[in-house]
Amino acid sequence: MALSTHTTPSGFNLPSIHSFPPFFTEQPNPTTQTTVTNQWIRLITTYARHRKLFILRIEDAETPGSEWDEILRNERINRRLLPTHLSNIISAMSAKNLVEYEPPKQTRSVLVYWRLPEEWAEVLHDWAVKTGQLNSILTFYDITDPQIESALTNIPVPLLRRAIAILGKTGRSQIIAIPGGEGVRFLARSK
Amino acid sequence: MRRGVGLAAFDLQEQSKRSYDVLSSELSKTQIDNLHSQLNHFRTSLAHFAAEHRESIKSDPSFRHAFQQMCSSIGVDPLAGPRKGGWWAELLGLGDWQYELGVQIVDVCVSTRERNGGLIDMAELLRMVSKLRGVSGGIITEEDVVRSIKTLQPLGTGYRVVEIGGSKMVRSVPKELDEDQAAILAVAREEGGRVIEDHLIQKKGWIRERARAALENMLLGDGICWLDDQAEGSRAYWVPSAMHWDA
Repeated sequence: MALSTHTTPSGFNLPSIHSFPPFFTEQPNPTTQTTVTNQWIRLITTYARHRKLFILRIEDAETPGSEWDEILRNERINRRLLPTHLSNIISAMSAKNLVEYEPPKQTRSVLVYWRLPEEWAEVLHDWAVKTGQLNSILTFYDITDPQIESALTNIPVPLLRRAIAILGKTGRSQIIAIPGGEGVRFLARSK
Repeated sequence: MRRGVGLAAFDLQEQSKRSYDVLSSELSKTQIDNLHSQLNHFRTSLAHFAAEHRESIKSDPSFRHAFQQMCSSIGVDPLAGPRKGGWWAELLGLGDWQYELGVQIVDVCVSTRERNGGLIDMAELLRMVSKLRGVSGGIITEEDVVRSIKTLQPLGTGYRVVEIGGSKMVRSVPKELDEDQAAILAVAREEGGRVIEDHLIQKKGWIRERARAALENMLLGDGICWLDDQAEGSRAYWVPSAMHWDA
């Protein structure tokens, strides 16, 4: 049997291991399972980056129809990733700081860091500079749903807050109270 | 020679002995010179041959095969290391070529080890090594791989070529495969990589306990098998090294 790569309808290139039936089983051999986990971590991260997906839930492995179906299921070989297996992969990712439980204090839903919060902070600041919005007060909505789509469109607010906080440490952002909530002001890099 | 008597005869004898000595050393000098010139001639021819055919030896597998046959029939090892082989290896650069191939074999074996447990099909290995070398690397054959693995032996890496179910595989971990494991690998190859207990019972006439024990042993012990618990019917075992991987 030949194991080949496969391009999904969304244009994502699945590695050949995704058509290897045991890839969807938790392996009793710990060395083999480490390989499986690492491959899944890479797959989840690259797929999230490809589709710009931020949230992964255990539910996504429970019922079909999720935006993660292309990787969590392989209809061609009739295999799927089981929720318990996904839960273990997620906890391995959490240990490597590649995901963060969101909201905190539960383990069924995570923010996937296909860019690290530090990287998001730079993307955010670059966007403010390039769109000429330094020093003006922006709402979170202005950032997550801008008129011209940006790399930050649809970024979840908890992740946005982390990025703003990181910029705050170097004096490049300020959270400001505005009527009806919070706003943020970006400042030029202080030399 | 007439043997005279008296002192004069003694002198004569001494004198002729000296002449013979001179003659004999002259003769052996000619022989040595002759040998030197032959050797020089041989060396020049070899250098010429090497310069002319070096590229063909490296890039054309059938030419390389013929060349190696020729070398072995005259008792010369063209691959004897750079130091040991002296100007042979130096002129041909074949030692380096072989070592380079060895390194590439190790590269492929090590990088695929986590999925195949240190056992790779020869065809698969050839394909992956060729890919690694790119088009300019020329075509390599099974014979080249076997030869390179031999050059790796002094390193004590435990690389070995084993024959399983009529086809060659390369084992890159120094562990013996027992008979039952070899039988399972052979069945896996026939079945496209997948093995279940029933296959072994039907094809090999094993009892279920033996089949289960052997499969579990390969699964848990060596990592040569992977488990598939979503298969219809029974627990299925898959052998990655019996399958063709695209990437």
